[in-house]
This record gives sequence, structure tokens and C-alpha cells, in this order.
Amino acid sequence: MPQHLIERSNVFPKNKLLAGMIVFLLVPPMQLVAQDPATDYRQNCMSCHTIGGGRLTGPDLKDVTKRKDGTWLAKFLVDPKAVIDSGDPYARQLVEESRGVIMPTLPGMTPQRAQSLLDLIDAESKLEKSQFQGVKLSERPFTPEDIVVGQRLFVGTAKLKNGGPACNSCHNVHGLSGFGGGGLAPDLTTVMERYGGRKTLSTWLTAPATPTMQSVFKPHPLDPEEVLPLVAYFQSTLQRNPEDPSTARLNFVLVGLAGALLVLALFDLIWNNRLKSVRRALVREKRLEAVHE
Amino acid sequence: MNVRSQISMVFHLDKCIGCHTCSIACKNIWTDRKGTEYMWWNNVETKPGTGFPTKWEDQEKYRGGWELKEGNLRLKSTSKAKTVTNIFHNPSMPSMDDYYEPWTYKYDELFNAPEGPDQPTARPISMVTGEYINVEAGPNWDDDLGGSPVYAESDPNLKGLTEDQRQQLFAIERLVFFYFPRICNHCLNPSCVAACPSGALYKRGEDGIVLIDQKRCRGWRACVAACPYKKTFYNWSTGKSEKCVLCYPRLETGQAPACFHSCVGRIRYLGVLLYDADRIEEVAKLRDEQLIDGHRSLVLNPHDPAVIAAARANGIHDSVIESAQASPVYKFVKEWKLALPPHIEFRTMPMLYYVPPMSPVMANRGDDTVSSVSGEFFHDIEDSRVPLQFMANLFGAGHQGKVVYALKKQKAVRTYRRAKTVGDIPMETAEKMLREADCSIEQAEAVYNLTSLCTFEDRFVIPPMHREEAIEMMRDPAEHKTAVGFGFMEPPKRGL
Repeated sequence: MPQHLIERSNVFPKNKLLAGMIVFLLVPPMQLVAQDPATDYRQNCMSCHTIGGGRLTGPDLKDVTKRKDGTWLAKFLVDPKAVIDSGDPYARQLVEESRGVIMPTLPGMTPQRAQSLLDLIDAESKLEKSQFQGVKLSERPFTPEDIVVGQRLFVGTAKLKNGGPACNSCHNVHGLSGFGGGGLAPDLTTVMERYGGRKTLSTWLTAPATPTMQSVFKPHPLDPEEVLPLVAYFQSTLQRNPEDPSTARLNFVLVGLAGALLVLALFDLIWNNRLKSVRRALVREKRLEAVHE
Repeated sequence: MNVRSQISMVFHLDKCIGCHTCSIACKNIWTDRKGTEYMWWNNVETKPGTGFPTKWEDQEKYRGGWELKEGNLRLKSTSKAKTVTNIFHNPSMPSMDDYYEPWTYKYDELFNAPEGPDQPTARPISMVTGEYINVEAGPNWDDDLGGSPVYAESDPNLKGLTEDQRQQLFAIERLVFFYFPRICNHCLNPSCVAACPSGALYKRGEDGIVLIDQKRCRGWRACVAACPYKKTFYNWSTGKSEKCVLCYPRLETGQAPACFHSCVGRIRYLGVLLYDADRIEEVAKLRDEQLIDGHRSLVLNPHDPAVIAAARANGIHDSVIESAQASPVYKFVKEWKLALPPHIEFRTMPMLYYVPPMSPVMANRGDDTVSSVSGEFFHDIEDSRVPLQFMANLFGAGHQGKVVYALKKQKAVRTYRRAKTVGDIPMETAEKMLREADCSIEQAEAVYNLTSLCTFEDRFVIPPMHREEAIEMMRDPAEHKTAVGFGFMEPPKRGL
């Protein structure tokens, strides 16, 4: 259809309608999220940020409004990746400080919601002891039993208390026996290093904030009793080298090929007694006989 | 007694000249369509030979027919469980090569060839793919012992022959063959019907013709694997299986089937047999050597008042009973015991019978004379050029007794007629021979008449088909007649 006809036609209202429907479908849960800034913070920010509790994966947010102006912060909150990609020097510095972990874009984040979060952070920064100083986590040293329990939790032989799916349904860790873990999500062999240590990772696991993890684990959060062995397990896997994805893919193809050949050979064996060529085989056999005579 | 009627057949092999007219008549009427090119519902094989499809009698390979397992009849090719596991790949399925790939010639090339030093040739092209092919086999590739070292020597019926007998069979100046025309046997215990997962095959109640419902057929081809005579065929174009219909549209209008009608040697006989359907299973489970007698015992005497009463009670029309009383097949099979079923050991109870052929007389050529080897006018039956064991493998489930009986009776009738018409054999010798062959003079005359002087009406005693009786079950025949024409002509199609 020529361009001028499209502009005149009623295609546009239709698209608007469609977009409206999608928004209608997506918006209500987000509005619920945005109702209370404290809950919002607990669910979405606390896994990486404290207020006055020191840095976790992300920086400590105490007095953040004094370090950087509110407009910039609000813009960053709405879409961190866009700001980082725009080449903003401060944003880049933040990424470097958090060892390359990029702050996830929270679905349904609006400037209004960002502002109310900033207001909350401002108010909490003035307090002597903020309620968001950090999650209380056990500091006891890991035991070998913790690692064993962690591995069982990871592969799913022990079920998670609140009904969450086992880690290996999506994640892999190098050196898992059997078919290994899933390939949907990042390899977790060195996750402890990436997330900057025990405290950060533990805090993050109590309320995972990335969109995918959040949608899976918000209804079935990890129990603090489970976080500790899991982190112990991830610490134990640090020594392993993450698998090179290209050899992994090659292995997958080779194993697949071998499996296919095995199945074909099995079919041939099971139906070995099938009717193969009669006439052609007969003629061939008789000709061979004639040659031998 | 559960009396049913069956249109049955006798092929008199002693009269077959192997002209293939029957095959052509059938082909022109039924299988000249796309997808049926390779089918020969009627074919004529040279024996010894491997036939069509190659080595069809070898059930070690094709797994057709029934077998006795722990006292039960079981299909060789399939079972309830195997129907499921093998439904998408039947391991006993012959390939098209085992029949032959049908071909024609690219005649255009004769007319469109550029001028040149050579004669243009029409190259063979496949009728399936349309590509050029190297013709490797045909439906009659081993006709008249062509390619004997490959084909005739691989005839499964040579089983049990001594090495001497085999060598004599193919020795120069001694080799011998006869023709074996085959159509669907319209069996009493058809394995094709039993094997069909869709229930598309059925045996017509009124005349026993075995048919494939083209609407219900799903093309699983279980019938192709299950038929030991390989007389159901898969049409690759319509995706349905097809088989000989015994020209039932012709029969319903009182005409003999096309292959019968066109038979040059007048070898074919057709008529009604009444049989006891209650005893089929019992008979099909008999030991091999009892099968022929058991099969014969299924056929009931249409003159017996008890049989007639039971037939009437089963709704068989008086005209059909009368037709059964005049049936030439009944005479050949039951009264004279001349006709034998082919490969009864497949246990499908075929209703097409064969009169085994007399072998030609063995003669030696001297300097200027040809002399018969035998002292008698005909050769000894035991010394036939076709070894008796070969005949027994074909028509006696491996046992010679019934075959010898039929051949001796034929020889006695010939000798008797020779004594009567030519007179160079003493009548006493002939009559003695008849007695030895369990044949009265009246019977000899009757055999002679139906063999040599038979008219069209003698050979084909076609019962009135009483379609109105079949229609009556569904609706009023008078209403049917006014309300139904030919219906919509609907060619068979793939799928539901």
C-alpha cells in the first residue's frame, strides 16, 4: 500500500487500539507494585543496595541525592541501560565499581515512581539507622555439609521450601554430572566472584531483582536457611573453570549424532528380520554364484 | 450347519496355453488407471518359476497367510500388538521392485529425433516417476522359463526335490514347464480381511467375493503383507489398496468375469459352492496332510435335502441352490476330486481350485525316429516329467496322494477315450485303468464332456445375484429402484 494511503487509512487507530490493549494487560500489576515506595524498595532494590549498610552489588544509597542531582538519578532509575549506553561518565564509573553488573531495568518504572523511591531514600538517609541498612544474614563459616546441601538444592534433589524451581532447571554449573544444568540462563560457576562476595550474593538471593528471577521467585522466595548452603556451594564452584560455550555446543552436537546413530542401529536390530529386497537380492546372489562357477 | 454360498472357480491347468489373454482382459477393464500400472489382478506364471511378485510363495520372506501356534490360528504378518507397533512401517511389505517398476517408452523421440546416421529409438521411461529407467524386471520376466538359472531354479516349490530331480527338470531336451494363471482366491478364511486395521476388507455375504471398501481403506497395506498369494495391491496414486473384484458388476448382470470370458483355452469354470461356515476354523486348524480333505468336507452337497433346508433357513434363494446343483466347480472339486486348492498350507482356504496338469510325454529322438520313453501310451504318473513332489508342493501341501489321484484319473479318462474313439488301446486296459483310478465309465464320460466339449453355459453357471435381497435389508427395493441412479461417480482419494 502506498505511504499516503496508509496515513489516511484507519490502520493507525487500530494499532493504537492494540497498543492500548497491551498496556491494559501489563499495567495493573505494576501499579500495585508502585503503591508503596517502601515495599517497592524491598522488592526491587534491596537485593543490591543498602542505605547506610555499605555496598553490595550496587553502591550504598545513603545520601545518594547529595552525590548526584535528582533529575539524573530519576532518569537513571527509569532506564539504567540507556544511560550507560549513552556514554555518561558517571554511569560508566558505577558499572566499573560493580564489576560489570548492569542495573536491571525495572518493568513499569515511571519517573513518578522513581521520584517516590528517591524521596524514600532521602528520608531514610536522614535516619540514624535505616530499615534498609541490610538484611541480617548468618556469618558463620561454611562447612562441607553446607556445600553438599547447596548442591542438592541446586540440582533439585532437595526441594526448595517455598516451592521455587531448582536452580538447574535454568542454570548450569561447570562439572555437573548427568545432562548438566539448563542453558536458558547464565552459567553460575563464578557467580560469587561476579557478584562480589558472600554478603552481596546472599543479599541478592534473598530477593532476586532481575525481571526473570523476580517473576519466578517473588511468589516462592528462597528461605534464608537455603541461601547459606547455596552460597556455600557457589563458593565451592569458584575453582572450576566455566565451560567454553563452543566446546559445549560441539559436545552437544556430537552426543546428539551419536545418539541418533545408536537409535538407528537399534531400529535396524529390532526390525532386522524385515522384508528386504527379494528380486534384486535373488538376481545378485545368482549372478555371484555363476561367477564363482 | 451354517450354509453359505460362494462363487468358486476351477482352472484346468491341463488346458492352459499361457497366452495371457486373461491378464490383458483384466488389465484393460480394471488396472489401466494411474497408480495401478504395476498391478496384475490376473496373471499367468510359468512353473517352475518365481512368479509375480518374485517368490511370492516363499512365506519365510513375505510372511503371508496363517500359521498354527499352540493350537490357534495366527496371522504370520501381524497381530493386535504388531498392528500398533508396525503401523507406520510394516516389516513384511514387498517393495515395488519385487513386483516390477512399470514402464512405457518415450515415443516422442521417434518422431522428434534430428536427422542422423542412426535409427531413432524410444527409450523406456518409468510410469511411476517418468524418468528414464533401465528395465530390470517385468511381470512375466521368467515367462516360458526365461532366465531359468535365476528364476526357475529359485522356485520355492522345488523344496524337497532331490538334486537329480532338479537337474533333470532343467536338463536340455528334458526341461518342462506349465502355466499357472492366478487371480484372487476369494478365500473362506481370508488373511487380508483379518489383517486390515481399518476394517475396510470384507467378504460379501451373498457370494463370498472379497472386496476392499475404497472409502474405509486408509492405505495401511496390512492386507498386502497378509495375503500369501500377494493378490492385494497398493495403489500409490489413490493411497488405497485394491484387489480382484471377480468382476462382480459383470456377475451381477449374469456375465462371466472378464478373464473367464476371454479365456482362449476355456480352462476356467465358475459356479456356486455351498459350504458350512461353522466349520471353517476347525478345518483351518487341521494338520497339513488333512487340510485338503477337510477343505473338501466344508463343501456341502447341494442335492442333500438337509443342506437345502439349512440353506433356505439361511436365506439362500432357491435359484442359488439350483445354480449350486448345476455347478461345474462342485463336480470337479467334490464329485471327481480332480481339482485341488493351491497352497492349502497357507490355511486361507482358497476357493479357486486347480486341476493339476499332465506332463508332456517324454520322448527320445533317435536317428530318424521319435520314440516314447514309456511302454504305455501315456507315461507313468509316478514318472512325470514334472516331479510329483513339485506338484505336491503346489497343490498338496507337500503330500503327493491327492495330486497322484487327480493325475491318475485324468490319465485313465484319456486312455478310456482313446480306446473308445481311436481304438488302438484295448478297452479292457482302459477300463482296468479307470477302476484303479476310482472312476466309473459314467464319470469318465462326464469328465470328458466337461473338459473337452464344454459350452459357455457348462463352464459358467452364474447364479442370479439377487441384489434386491441385499437392498431389502436397507430399504424397499422398489423405492431404491426409483430413487437411486448410479450415484455420484466418486474416484477414491487419499485420506478420510
